[in-house]
Amino acid sequence: MNKAQKKDWVKLILDNFIWIILAVLFTYFAVNIPNFTLKSNLINILLHASVLGILAIGQTIVLLTGNFDLSAEGMVSLSTIFAMWLMLEPGIRGEAQGSGLMMNPFLVIPIILLLGTIVGFLVGTMITQLKMNGFIVTLAMQLSLRGAAMILSNGQIMTGSPKAFNWLGSAKVAGFPVSIIVTILMFLFVNYLLNNSKFGRELRAVGANPDAAAASGFNPKRTITLAYTIGGFLAAFAGWMLLGRLETSISTLGEGYTLETVAASVIGGVSLKGGVGSVGGAFAGVMLLSLIDNALNLMSVDSFWVEAVRGFIILIALLIEAQKFRYKPKVIHEPAIEKPAVSGTK
Amino acid sequence: MNTKQEIMEKTPILKMENVSKAFPGVQALTDVNFSVEQGEIHGLVGKNGAGKSTLMAILMGILEPNEGAITVGDERFVAMSPKEAIAAGIAYVPQHVAMMDSLTVAENILAGELPRNKMGLVDWKRVNQEAKERLEKLGLGLDVNKKVEGLGVAEQTMLAIAKALFGNAKLIILDEPTASLSRADINRLFSFIRSLKDKGGSFIYISHHLEEVFEICDRVTVIRDGRVVGTERVKDIDVPKLIVMMVGEDVEDYTRESTCVEEVILNLSGLERRGYYEDINLELRKGEILGLTGLQGCGAEQLGKGLFGLEPRGIGTITIHGEEFKAVKPIESFNQGLAYLPQDRYRFGLVGLRSVRENVTYPVLDKLVRLINLVNRKEEKKIVDQYITELDIKTPSTEQPVRLLSGGNQQKVVFAKMATTKPDVLVLHEPTQGVDVRAKMDIFRIIDDMAKQGVAVIIISTEIRELMGVCDRIVVMNDGRLTKEFRKGSKEMTPEKILAAIEGGKNNE
Repeated sequence: MNKAQKKDWVKLILDNFIWIILAVLFTYFAVNIPNFTLKSNLINILLHASVLGILAIGQTIVLLTGNFDLSAEGMVSLSTIFAMWLMLEPGIRGEAQGSGLMMNPFLVIPIILLLGTIVGFLVGTMITQLKMNGFIVTLAMQLSLRGAAMILSNGQIMTGSPKAFNWLGSAKVAGFPVSIIVTILMFLFVNYLLNNSKFGRELRAVGANPDAAAASGFNPKRTITLAYTIGGFLAAFAGWMLLGRLETSISTLGEGYTLETVAASVIGGVSLKGGVGSVGGAFAGVMLLSLIDNALNLMSVDSFWVEAVRGFIILIALLIEAQKFRYKPKVIHEPAIEKPAVSGTK
Repeated sequence: MNTKQEIMEKTPILKMENVSKAFPGVQALTDVNFSVEQGEIHGLVGKNGAGKSTLMAILMGILEPNEGAITVGDERFVAMSPKEAIAAGIAYVPQHVAMMDSLTVAENILAGELPRNKMGLVDWKRVNQEAKERLEKLGLGLDVNKKVEGLGVAEQTMLAIAKALFGNAKLIILDEPTASLSRADINRLFSFIRSLKDKGGSFIYISHHLEEVFEICDRVTVIRDGRVVGTERVKDIDVPKLIVMMVGEDVEDYTRESTCVEEVILNLSGLERRGYYEDINLELRKGEILGLTGLQGCGAEQLGKGLFGLEPRGIGTITIHGEEFKAVKPIESFNQGLAYLPQDRYRFGLVGLRSVRENVTYPVLDKLVRLINLVNRKEEKKIVDQYITELDIKTPSTEQPVRLLSGGNQQKVVFAKMATTKPDVLVLHEPTQGVDVRAKMDIFRIIDDMAKQGVAVIIISTEIRELMGVCDRIVVMNDGRLTKEFRKGSKEMTPEKILAAIEGGKNNE
């Protein structure tokens, strides 16, 4: 028993690879880049990580079911533009303009969160009930949402969101940005929830093997729809946070977030095949991406290079994920004769 | 001179010597010696999982053997890919033939080598003429202008055989060619195969229908547990002897005292799902173990899935403890006292990537959930630990992903999962498939224990010998109907009689 319980070191290292890299990288940057460890810079890193982090939570939840959500960044765009439209005064034609509703921010916030939730639910329903392809549905939804934002904003920059609305994105508590605190709390909460709730079990079971999940008494369609619904809600929430920080929006806001969230999740050990991974891992992935972004920035690396480096990191993450699946500890005891795993030859 | 000629004739077209194949943790084939002579139809029989598929996969170039030598004709056969296997002269004709259905017979025959005219366009006249000539040489009178999808199943199989021969196949593997054929179709197919044999064609004939093996084959080889049990001329052997070879006598049988009492738990009456089963009436007593057996496609599988709610159930009433059982979804079935063990545990039974703990408690999470949606981990651990001990599941920890357990232990996890729901009725589909001999005994003991606790058990299985050991009653299903019942202890309950009842339906057609 003792021998069997001995920790499998290879697995332990593979499972926590991301944290090791994170620590090594942080140390390296701290030593080699001046100003890296300044408080203002560290806060900068966390600020960048906060919006990305909220989106990565949603992405992870959907990835765990074995699906993708490419629509979230569209929701970031629409939720911010729609919020502005509801809150701003009517402008002159051709310029950035609101509806003139001048709506109270405390009303606008629940409205955009509801919008995100509904859109997420619709996407989930299309995929599970109407059996539409998830990849394309969410991609088309991204386009539609961004398109709607473009129509609402006339393609213009909308600026000047009210202070009450900006609280989540801009306010500080004891000198520390609220958005960072909220993001960290959100990660802790969702991580705990997914590891200890029935819903978390369901998500991973459905993602790893929908047929067995159904035969175990779960409802895969419901679970997947719920995952997209939560993803939609979190996308709108991220929009609220981002707009609060920038106080400005444009329909192209959030471009590129999709790949970054998928990358962060995968870097953090979330399997693209579904069923494996945690929100905590995704947090590490988000931190890694933010860290590198920031370092490249401080080193004034040519922006053309930044993209290439990012792409390279994502490829490395995928490589590690693929290796993880290939690595298989020894089977406990040897069965004598078993049916070979040759399906399809019969 | 004479002897030399005889040797010439007896030159095997295929010779496999000491072929072995192992998968991680599994010895699928051990020292297999198998040969097919020119102009011979050689039957290959064995139960599911005996190793037939692996053997054929090697011949088809899908798998590579670990050891052994194979010769085809007089050339050494080392196929690394299906393409090379075909080039070496081995053709495989599956039960459901795959061809270009929307093209004509002629196009299918000449695919890839369509004759062209001077302008480089396809010369359709020549296509049809040549296809016709080729078919006539084999004595196959098909309308070459007909689309393949318009042909009957038997014709499609014949066409596939013909096509293989045009591709210079030396040996054709027929895998369950008669499974979906009527008797008349079978006769036509057989006479075609015989005519080819007379011209020197060689075949491997895989079938579960032993009568047909005796009808068409010259010799038959039996495989059991990855080994060749023997090769016999069909003239020298009969069905009972063949069954003994397939089933084996050296198997240690599990025996048990009946725990069946008078009290009826499960009652099925008038169950019917069109196309699968009809007129199913059955009573199951407390502590009774009932075996349900029949040929593949007899409807037993659908009945099991239907009861559990994985497939539509059709009409009819079911009662458990006198109360009507109305569950249509797995979770409702669990809650109303019926649990089901699927045949394919990798696909339906387990979530392989997840831990033993999670898998065991999936069906009872609702009962473990405390405030909001949170699972009571303490209580969960208690349940999981209890079943790991009770069922003797060998795992380093509760957190081990089940895909890393051995087959027998995986199956025990499925049993634990069902046991957590405290079922009144258990439906088990091939519960011992893919587990080793020792684990089989463990699984029988688990089933026995559950029966002792008053659970009524239905085992759907083709392992007649195992059923005879463990069941109080065996019911045979034929074409969707329950046709015969054998009681433990009666003189009727012999493998031969049960097999005859299973095969009965086919001969009556």
